[in-house]
Amino acid sequence: MLRHMLCSPFLVLGVLLTTSVGLDHGQETSPPPAAPVNSGPTLRLAPGSPAPEFTLESVNGESVRLSDFHGQAVLIHFWATWCGPCKITMPWLVDLQSKHSARGFRVLAIALDDDATNVEIGEFADQLRVNFPVLIGNEKVAEAYGGVPAMPESFLVSRDGRIVERIIGITSKSELEKSVTTALNARAADASPTPTASQAQK
Amino acid sequence: MIWSKRHPKIAWLFLLIGSAVWAQSGKAPSVSMAPVGPVSAQRGKQSKITLNFRVAPGFHVNSNTPKDEFLIPTALKMDPPTDVVLGKIEYPNGVDVSFPFSPDTKLNVYSGDFTINLMVHPLVSVVPGKYAMRGVLRYQACDNAQCFPPKTLPVNFDVKVVKEPPPPQHNPKQSPHVHS
Repeated sequence: MLRHMLCSPFLVLGVLLTTSVGLDHGQETSPPPAAPVNSGPTLRLAPGSPAPEFTLESVNGESVRLSDFHGQAVLIHFWATWCGPCKITMPWLVDLQSKHSARGFRVLAIALDDDATNVEIGEFADQLRVNFPVLIGNEKVAEAYGGVPAMPESFLVSRDGRIVERIIGITSKSELEKSVTTALNARAADASPTPTASQAQK
Repeated sequence: MIWSKRHPKIAWLFLLIGSAVWAQSGKAPSVSMAPVGPVSAQRGKQSKITLNFRVAPGFHVNSNTPKDEFLIPTALKMDPPTDVVLGKIEYPNGVDVSFPFSPDTKLNVYSGDFTINLMVHPLVSVVPGKYAMRGVLRYQACDNAQCFPPKTLPVNFDVKVVKEPPPPQHNPKQSPHVHS
């Protein structure tokens, strides 16, 4: 009897239908999740965990390490030239960089852009009057930060190099500024509020 | 196999459910193409082929003529067989829309269903038969908050090249004696 039930096509059908409905429910409430399905990177990138270190070349040919900015609050911003929302966000970042640089805030924009050359990325950044380092990203860095399946995606890092917040997709400028302030205040007592001259030039 | 013979309806249902589960597993592309029905093209003449695409709900893709030089247009690239000449590709007009992330900026996009028409012209010298058309649709999709890297969707279908239709048949004049 049990065997008969297990082999029943209707039972299998029921299980499949349940699975389908469950997935459907998850998908209907929002478009495909930007966060990776794999829990490994997500756990590694949880607030309080160390921000993965990287060394990347900027569009100006300089080598930039995340740890160069230890002691500052850093916004790591993944973007691409073909990304409309990224283009909207850039001027906000320029403003935030100007407004909060004296308190030790630094934007690092990492371009994940197979369609544009380094020169084109640089020109794009110049058009937007970017006042922070624009770095040429790669798959390894993207993987370290959860794969970055869609852009923009940003990570706010505290002065002691820990992830404060992960921001998926575009948000408002005021929300972004609130997050920047939180990052600047996080563990402020433990870190130097003033960037060094060499860091400020980067 | 046995099921499909004994229970053809259930087999179809499984196929449908399987497709639905796969499509909703997050790996489904943002744009899909409807199967192309039988296409016949007369050699020596131009024929229009209609390709139907669907953008998944909640997404949009740039039209073929986006308003910003950095945006990636939706574009069809075909690699036709030697003796089938590719003609004009007709893209639909996009729709101007603004999004929460940029209420003042209009983007020209496709969402939902859209159609691309493709002209093919088999040469007069082509041997009648079935010819494989292979190509890709390149697009870049976004939702209301994020954009996804450019993707390519395979666009494959067959064109049956046929001979010229026989010349119109004129009924021979009937002999008066037949009806007499």
